[in-house]
Amino acid sequence: MSTGLTRVWERLPLKKQAAQSGIRVFSQQQPEIEDEEEFRVLNLRTVKQQFQRRREVRRDPVTPPRTNRMAVDQDWTAAWPAPRSFHPASVPLPLRQGFTERGAAAPSKFANAELMKIPNFLHLTPPAIRQQCEAIKKFCSPWPKGLETEAKWQRHFPVEVITTDYLQSLPTIRNLEARRVTISLKLSDLKFDAHARDKFLRLVGDRYNKDTDTVTFVTDRCPLRKQNYDYAMYLLTACYHESFVTEPWEASKSEADMEVYLFERNQSKIAAEGILNWSAKEGDNKISPPPAYAQCVEQLINEGENEYNLAKYKEEVKKMLNV
Amino acid sequence: MNFLKKLVPQVALAEAQLLSRSSIHTSAVCCRVQSGRYRITTKRNRPLTYEMANPPHFIGHRKSWNSWNTSTLEDGLRPSQTAIEDVFIRKFMTGTWHALVCSEVIIKRQHNTIRIAALIRQAITPRKMYFLIGYTEELLSYWMQCPVTLELQTVGDKNDVIFKYI
Repeated sequence: MSTGLTRVWERLPLKKQAAQSGIRVFSQQQPEIEDEEEFRVLNLRTVKQQFQRRREVRRDPVTPPRTNRMAVDQDWTAAWPAPRSFHPASVPLPLRQGFTERGAAAPSKFANAELMKIPNFLHLTPPAIRQQCEAIKKFCSPWPKGLETEAKWQRHFPVEVITTDYLQSLPTIRNLEARRVTISLKLSDLKFDAHARDKFLRLVGDRYNKDTDTVTFVTDRCPLRKQNYDYAMYLLTACYHESFVTEPWEASKSEADMEVYLFERNQSKIAAEGILNWSAKEGDNKISPPPAYAQCVEQLINEGENEYNLAKYKEEVKKMLNV
Repeated sequence: MNFLKKLVPQVALAEAQLLSRSSIHTSAVCCRVQSGRYRITTKRNRPLTYEMANPPHFIGHRKSWNSWNTSTLEDGLRPSQTAIEDVFIRKFMTGTWHALVCSEVIIKRQHNTIRIAALIRQAITPRKMYFLIGYTEELLSYWMQCPVTLELQTVGDKNDVIFKYI
């Protein structure tokens, strides 16, 4: 095809024209292919062929571990500044980890995946912690004066607020459990009269711990901690102020509604007064039973009859009647 | 057959109880476990890494976990998503570092960062390795929407990680 084309080309007058103008329109000196490709020889018998040398892979020299060049008194906090998986070439310690059969040495630190798995504290050496503490010291403020002991700060801050922060390995920092707020305070820190105290205890119910004399509010119904804290403080305030309100129906509390026996409003007081004022005339000062007797009667009925209470009651009766 | 040997007293007990009451025969539960365990070859030439040499019931005793996160703790959040992400990271790592990863891929999560550790063969030039580190970190951090750090250790030969032959 190409030879035919060349022949046609030669006949054309264009070629001469081009040669005269000096423009090379078409390649005239086509190099002829001298070396003809040899046919592959069919090798029926297995003749040993020349061993072809494989191309050698040029490899960059692997640098020796960095630990070889480490000074003995180097600054370790600079060599390992942040948490990182274990790397044998950076840690100049002859570590070994792994279980082997009896007598065999444990696998060394090189190519040891177990050492890479376990969390290490190489970034939290005592000098590193000291260094970091020094660095953040300038952000600290001195401890407030007057709050040195626990007794002192409990007097100024009677309400204890307990919240929990959760650290987790997740892309989110939110945790639903963090919304819970617990506030507690000693009941003795609140000022009550007898009615208010009784009503407050009725309002808080089992949130009052009798053994430790503390009231505890746990709130978790709002989605945020701030809202729960506000709600808990609201509950405390509302209960406290509500306990001082005397509703009109509270006056209709009969003896059957009383939760404890009170000497003042019972028949035994009238009976004791009757005995003490047996021979008193009209207009004389009435003798009231002594408070020790009243207390012992209350104890006898509230706590039940036991040996101690009965003996005490006997003593008090004897004392009162001068027997 | 070891598991059968262990079961023999239990089965005998169960059978004795059953025979006394009725003649219904029950077979023992099939509790064959195979995952993470390797058969011994006749020529004893199967290479095992330390990880492979210890079956799964030694996790926490002879070897430790490959995934470290708080999702698997009690009341941990999004455990399923974390597990799926870990599977994806492992697949991506072994595919990106093709025929180079000599160990299990260790995934440690701290707060919002993911740290991936593995043993890599020194079969490619350091330049390519640096490229792959950046590539993996960049793509994974884009997908996981959190910083990803690769903490690799290289080994000269893949035989370096072999613990024993069975």
